[in-house]
Amino acid sequence: MEYQLKMDKKKLISEIRDKTELMRRDSIEMGYAAGKLGAHFGPALSCLDIVATLYFGVMNHGSENPEMPERDRFVLSKGHACLAYYAALIETGYIPRDMIPQFKGNNSILCGHPSMNMQYGIEVSTGSLGSGFPIACGMAMAAKYKGEAHKVYCIVGDGECNEGIVWEAAINATKFKLNNLIVIVDINGFQLSGTTSKVMPINLNAFWKAAGWKVWHIEDGNDVEEVLQMLTEVKNFASEKPHVILTKTVKGKGISFMENNLKFHAAPINDEQYQQAIEDLNKAEAKRRAQ
Amino acid sequence: MSSISIETLKEWSKLGHRNSFGESIILLAKERKDVVVVSPDLTTTARLVNFEKEFPDRLFNVGIAEQNMIGFTAGLAREGLMPFAVSIAAFAPMRCAEQMRSMLGYMKLNARVVGIEAGCRFGPLGNTHFAMDDIAVMRSIPNFTVICPADPHEIYKTVFAVAEHEGPVHIRLTGAPGFPLLYPDDFEYEIGKAIEYRPGKDVAIIATGSVLWEGIRAADILEKKGLSVRVIDMHTVKPIDAEMLESVFAENAIIVTVEEHSIIGGLGSAVAEYKAGFKDAPKQIMCGLGDSFRKIGNYEFQMKDNGLVAEDIAAKVERSL
Repeated sequence: MEYQLKMDKKKLISEIRDKTELMRRDSIEMGYAAGKLGAHFGPALSCLDIVATLYFGVMNHGSENPEMPERDRFVLSKGHACLAYYAALIETGYIPRDMIPQFKGNNSILCGHPSMNMQYGIEVSTGSLGSGFPIACGMAMAAKYKGEAHKVYCIVGDGECNEGIVWEAAINATKFKLNNLIVIVDINGFQLSGTTSKVMPINLNAFWKAAGWKVWHIEDGNDVEEVLQMLTEVKNFASEKPHVILTKTVKGKGISFMENNLKFHAAPINDEQYQQAIEDLNKAEAKRRAQ
Repeated sequence: MSSISIETLKEWSKLGHRNSFGESIILLAKERKDVVVVSPDLTTTARLVNFEKEFPDRLFNVGIAEQNMIGFTAGLAREGLMPFAVSIAAFAPMRCAEQMRSMLGYMKLNARVVGIEAGCRFGPLGNTHFAMDDIAVMRSIPNFTVICPADPHEIYKTVFAVAEHEGPVHIRLTGAPGFPLLYPDDFEYEIGKAIEYRPGKDVAIIATGSVLWEGIRAADILEKKGLSVRVIDMHTVKPIDAEMLESVFAENAIIVTVEEHSIIGGLGSAVAEYKAGFKDAPKQIMCGLGDSFRKIGNYEFQMKDNGLVAEDIAAKVERSL
C-alpha cells in the first residue's frame, strides 16, 4: 500500500512537471503575443511551479463548475505574475487555449493584471500590490463564519511585502485564527529597481513570526516535489495559526536569459529571444525525458 | 422591512446619526444572517457596542487599519456576505480610497462603507478629522453608489435599502445629536430617486444629508418674502436623479445646492455637471464648504462660518435675484 502511494505520488509529481512545461510555453506564447507591450515574465516564471502544484496537486477545483462552492480559493496577490495564473487556467480548461493571442489585447479578458471573472476561473482582481492578500483574509474569514471547509491559498511577492497593508492583514489574520489560509511568499529576491535586499531589506521570517504566523520554508520553490510535499503537509497540519510558506525561487526560472535578470521583470521579447526561449524549453524537456 | 415607531425615531433624533445607524444595523442584522460589521477599532465611537453585544461573532474589529478594513471587507463580500465597514468619514474613503477603487468598485462587490461624522462636526478636532472630500472621491469611482441620508428615518431606510442593492455603496452620515426628524411618518424611499420634500416654482433648493434641514428653513425664510421654493432631498448623490434634475431645469429659475461637503466634487458639482448639457439651464448657487482648510470650531461655528445656516442660504438667494 505504502509502495503504491509512493508510486502515485511520483506519478503526480511527474504529471505536475508535465504541466509546468506546458505552462511555461503558454506564458512565453502569451508574453510574445503582447509584442512591444511585453509582459512580467520574471515574476511569473518564479512562481509558476507553485501555481502549477496548487492547481494540479493540491487544490480542490474543477473547470466544469468554476463556482463550485466547496472549491479551494486561489488569490494571486502578486497580480503582475498573471502569466503563470492564466497558464494554469488554460491547462486546467478554464481559459480556452485560443485566447492566448489575446493577452493584453484590446478589450481582452486576459489583462496585464487579473480581473475577476469566474467564467474563466479568475477568483479576484489583483494587481495593486498588497490587495489580494487582505481580500484572501476576508475570504478565509467568510469561510469560517459560514462553516465551510475549503482553504484559501494566496501567493504574495517578496517585494510586495514592502506594502504596509500586508502587515495590517497579517496581524489581523492571526487575531481571527485564519488557519484555513495558506500564504506562499515567492522570494525571487528582486523587485522593480533592484534586489529586495538592497531596495528594502526585510527579515521576512522574523516579520511573519512576529505577526503570529506558523512559518514554513521551501528551499527550492521551483522544485515541484518539494513544493508538493510542503503544501500537502501544511494543508493537513492542525494549527490555530494561519500558515505562511517562505519559498525561495528563481526569477525568470527556466528561460536562460531571463533567470535572475531584472531586465525581464517586465519587458517585451523580440523574435530572436522568443526562439531562444522555445529552445530553452525544448532542451529542458528533452533533458527531463532522457533522465 | 418593518416600520419603525415614532418614539424610536425621536430617540434617535436626540442621539444623532451614529446611534441611528448603530441601532438600524441591529434591526437589519436580525433579519439577515449575512449582515456583518467591520470596524477599525471604532465600535464605541460608531455606537456599535450594542451590535457587538447582540452579535459578537458578526462584528470584526480589524484594529486601526482602514486599508486592511476594506481588503477584509472585500473578501467577506466576495464570499457572499453583506459587510458594512464603518469608519470615520475623514479616514474612509480617503485613507483607503485606492482599496475602495481596486477592490470594491472594480469587482463590483456588495460591500457597504459607512462614514460617520462626515462634514465638519468634528470641527474642534481639527482638519485631520473633517471629511469635506469624501463625496468627491467616491463619486469618481465607477460602480459606487453614494448616499447621504438626511435624518434618522432616512438612515434607517437607507440601511435596509442598501441590503437589497447590487454593487458597492458609500453611506455618508451627518447630523449631530438633536438633528431634526424630517420624516416623522413612513415615506417612499428608493435609492437613486430624489424626494420632493416640498413643491415650489421659483427657487429649487437641492440638499443632501442632514443639512437638508437648513434648506427647509431657508425655504421658509424665502417664502415669507414671497418666493415659491421647492425643496429636494437628493439623498443619493450618485447616481444622481436625472429625472428630478430635468424637472427642476424646466420648472425652476434658480437652483441652490446645499451640502456639508467641499463645493468641489460634491452634490453641487454633480448637479452642475449634469446641467452642463442643457441650454438655458437655471443659474446655480452652490452652498458648501469652501476650498480651504477650515478654522477650528464647534459645529454651530462651522456651519455659520461656511454659510450653511438657513439665514445665509436665504441671503445668498436674495442677493442673486
